[in-house]
Amino acid sequence: MWKVTLKGIWAKKVRFLLTGVAVILGVAFVSGTFVLTATISSTFDKLFTEIYQNTDAVVRAKQTFDSNFGGGRGRVDASLLPVVRGATGVAQADGSVQGLAVIVDKNDKALGSNGRGAPTFGFAWIPDRDLSSLTLVDGHGPKKADEIVIDKASADNAGYKVGDTVPVITKAGRADYQLSGIVKFGSSNSLLGATIVAFAPETAAKVLATPGTFDAINVKADPGVSQVEVTRNIRAALRDAPDTKNVEVISGDKITQESQSNLKKNLSFFNTFLLVFAIVSLLVGSFIIFNTFSIIVAQRGRELALLRAIGAARGQVLGSVMFEAVLVGIFASAIGFVGGVFLASGLKALLGAIGVDIPAGGIVIPASAVIWSFVTGMVVTIVAALFPALRASRIPPIAAMRDVAIDRSNSSRTRIVLGLLVTLLGAGLLALGLFGNGSNGLAQVGLGIGVVFLGVAVLGPTIAAPLSRVIGAPIRKMKGITGALAQENAVRNPKRTSATAAALMIGVALVGLITIFAASARTSISASIDRSMKADYVVNSSGFGTGTIPIVAEDKLREVPNVESVSGVRTTQAKIKGSVDFLWAADPAKINSLFDLQPTAGNISKLSPTGIAILDTVASDNNLKMGDTVKVGFPSTGTQEFRVESIFSQAGFANWVVPLAAFDKNVPDQFDNQIYIKTSDGVTPENTAALKKVVAEFPGPKLETRDQFKQTQVNQVNQLLNLIYVLLFFAIVIALFGIANTLGLSIIERTHELGLLRAVGMTRRQLRSSVRWESVIISLLGTFLGLVIGVLFAWALVHALADQGIDQFSLAPVQLLVIVVLAGVFGVIAAIWPARRAARLDILESIRTE
Amino acid sequence: MADTLTPPAPSAPAATGIAARAVGASKIYGSGEAEVRALDNISVEFERSKLTAIMGPSGSGKSTLLHCLAGLDRLTAGAIYLGDAEISSMNEKQLTVIRRDKLGFIFQAYNLIPTLDALENMTLPMSLAGRKPDAEWLDTVVTTVRLGDRLKHRPSELSGGQQQRVAVARALLSRPEIVFADEPTGNLDSKSGAEILTFMRKAVDELGQTIVMVTHDPGAAAYADRVVFLADGHIVDELAAPTADSVLDKMRSLGG
Repeated sequence: MWKVTLKGIWAKKVRFLLTGVAVILGVAFVSGTFVLTATISSTFDKLFTEIYQNTDAVVRAKQTFDSNFGGGRGRVDASLLPVVRGATGVAQADGSVQGLAVIVDKNDKALGSNGRGAPTFGFAWIPDRDLSSLTLVDGHGPKKADEIVIDKASADNAGYKVGDTVPVITKAGRADYQLSGIVKFGSSNSLLGATIVAFAPETAAKVLATPGTFDAINVKADPGVSQVEVTRNIRAALRDAPDTKNVEVISGDKITQESQSNLKKNLSFFNTFLLVFAIVSLLVGSFIIFNTFSIIVAQRGRELALLRAIGAARGQVLGSVMFEAVLVGIFASAIGFVGGVFLASGLKALLGAIGVDIPAGGIVIPASAVIWSFVTGMVVTIVAALFPALRASRIPPIAAMRDVAIDRSNSSRTRIVLGLLVTLLGAGLLALGLFGNGSNGLAQVGLGIGVVFLGVAVLGPTIAAPLSRVIGAPIRKMKGITGALAQENAVRNPKRTSATAAALMIGVALVGLITIFAASARTSISASIDRSMKADYVVNSSGFGTGTIPIVAEDKLREVPNVESVSGVRTTQAKIKGSVDFLWAADPAKINSLFDLQPTAGNISKLSPTGIAILDTVASDNNLKMGDTVKVGFPSTGTQEFRVESIFSQAGFANWVVPLAAFDKNVPDQFDNQIYIKTSDGVTPENTAALKKVVAEFPGPKLETRDQFKQTQVNQVNQLLNLIYVLLFFAIVIALFGIANTLGLSIIERTHELGLLRAVGMTRRQLRSSVRWESVIISLLGTFLGLVIGVLFAWALVHALADQGIDQFSLAPVQLLVIVVLAGVFGVIAAIWPARRAARLDILESIRTE
Repeated sequence: MADTLTPPAPSAPAATGIAARAVGASKIYGSGEAEVRALDNISVEFERSKLTAIMGPSGSGKSTLLHCLAGLDRLTAGAIYLGDAEISSMNEKQLTVIRRDKLGFIFQAYNLIPTLDALENMTLPMSLAGRKPDAEWLDTVVTTVRLGDRLKHRPSELSGGQQQRVAVARALLSRPEIVFADEPTGNLDSKSGAEILTFMRKAVDELGQTIVMVTHDPGAAAYADRVVFLADGHIVDELAAPTADSVLDKMRSLGG
């Protein structure tokens, strides 16, 4: 029995490969994700172990809240340093300071922070080399107030050498420094592409932090004193010191672990992202496997029946089909796993290209990559092949005497009812995830989308025939008999056509969803800026985070002729009403000249230093009214109370707004995120030139006119979009293999028919054209179903996010049309191999009766 | 019925002469020890407006001869002429056009395209050429094969005899120079078979159609004007105005 199966597989190598391709790509994503994670983890595990090898304990402030942007922790007072140094077992201790410092290169451009979000760190130089994470590779540490060292990657990128003058932007503004040395971060040239500047300690205290405070105190223990011991001793020493309630002491091992796990947490979004695509690929793949095995079973029906007739048991037939599935699974998993290793190196390079430098180190292949590759590959293949195999085992022996491959009617009532139920279930889950208040909304959305796909796939055979007829009608009209044959062939086997189209449907639905959602987001952002912004110019920090514009820039801009009104906008993360959110600050006196926030209560321009303005939907969600008290937790100053003094209805600007005065009191080391400017005569070349001159002093942030600002905001959406498109492209490519595979199999089935067509005068070109159009019809069917689903998903998503500022539904008709045209082109591409195969059939062989 | 069978404008140039001929035709498979001569230096002519049957035992080369005459297969040596045109030197593309425009085919089985209805099947070669069939002639053929009420039916909804009648109608509709029939009654019961053969006979007598038919059934051969006997790749004999009995006698004498 196995010999028969093996021979069958060998005879159909190409089909075997095509079937496997779908699983191969899915498994490659799975394996690539695990390999990449392990590789990155191992690199950083080593790096942090190395950095903290001499650190036995760390004294720092307790965390006020957990934040993705590294905030949430205040500073410790410098007066604690002598206390720590005096604790038993402490050999050395010194304070570390960390802040934001942007290196300006020789072309007056900012290094590092070009919108990619890689941090630009400033540190205080710790003279005691054992306590520092920085290793000198050239020159000496900063001794004078105007000396600095920078990381090797930045020095190489900008071409700076020891002794050069290097401009650096800090919260104190721009200043020139002498480069006294070059450092590495541990043994790495840089940390994930971040740039590093280390200042002499006194300078650092002024330009990075608040004098008299440290971000942490690092401790090296006496020889023979364990980390646990020294940690305990320091705790004891601090207990007697004043104001240490908010201070914690942790061991060197713990800070190593914490750094390692924080980094992994920050990269985990990338993993989730990749795994989502792995799931999409495998879902698409399972449709193709299902379809391929269904066709194989239909075609081999006679052979299987013959096997049954000569005495094979049902179990043996089932085993024979499943054996082939297992082989496909093993083969695809193995290739997919190897492909994933390459994918991981590719992605690592890609991360490097977008500015996230990962220190050198070999690819690490964890056991989990191997295990999950095979588990997912095998499970998907076997589950997808199970139904066709069961059907195969039910073929009665008598079928050996009958003709094969008869398509049964597919519009049974059971199918319609079941399909509708599953679709509705999926839609329900989706709605629950989008509009419900559950904590795992995202999972529900994902599951809902998956179930809807399944439901539509069940309904597929019922709608495939009529839809294909409609889609094929113009082709029939245009191409005459070749078109008619293409249309009839697409319709003749609705189950097959719909399963093939369903694979494409998934990719197209997701592309459609993303496209429409992005278009809606763009329109919404654009409309929101139109509605809410009165300013003529914006100085905009690139990238995410809390801004990189030194506050002194505000004063300089104010002095530019024609400037009427200027306000910096600063943001910080804070704990508001129990959850972490962004708090915005602006100059209340200027708000009404720069923005139209549509106040519904109170006067926002009279906001007092303890007043807060709230967006109306946020206020009602939190049950806040005018005069209510809001508790806001700051890392440095703890919990502060604000009174609701104004409520506004303009969405898309901010949720919580406080005056700059309140911000000044509670947030150290401020930068402007944006500076909004209104001029007396609007946007003019003269104004632009004058403002640009001021902004040029602080490279990094860009001066944008109102229209450019709108474009920048819209482009941020596009950047994210492109990455998603690239990954979804894989899902569509898999579906194309599916179409090629199905058509290839169908052509084997139609050998006699094709031979007859050729005999009575169909040219090879006509035959190829007919196969091509059939493929186009199937592609368009999948695309049409996908777009309908995609549009509905997007509509639901936009409505669910209406109060997040995405309130405009934009159908993006041009992009959708492009998708349809591309689907047609993809259909043509998918048909290349089957069409050639059909055209090459030998006429005599084909028409020969058995 | 005889009146209605007159073609409005016959495309065949003359009712006499040679429609197709093979000159020194050889078809050799394999080489050396394994060499098989399916056709061994055959020269034969097929007259216009005649029904010629080719007979012979299995492996005699009769199907190979038909396939080569029809441009479906290539000779190893020799030449095939269709009218004055040598088709054995034509390329695949030219042959396809010749088959489409000048030849008609009736096979034993798999004669129709399952996704097309009866009418579409009949007009298939003309559709492939991008031509419309002559309405009057179409009407004549449809009436003759008695399929008027079945035109919109798919092959799966037709009986074997009806399917073969559609195939015959398809072969005649483009008014080809020759119709090649390969065991056209092989899959049919005797009544349906007789119907098809009668119709083919009529097409020759009343429309001046040229038909070359391969068969192993003496009864079918009896409908022909002339029977050519093949054995081991050679033409061994022929018989004019055959009857079922005379064909059987000849076969016995050749076989013995």
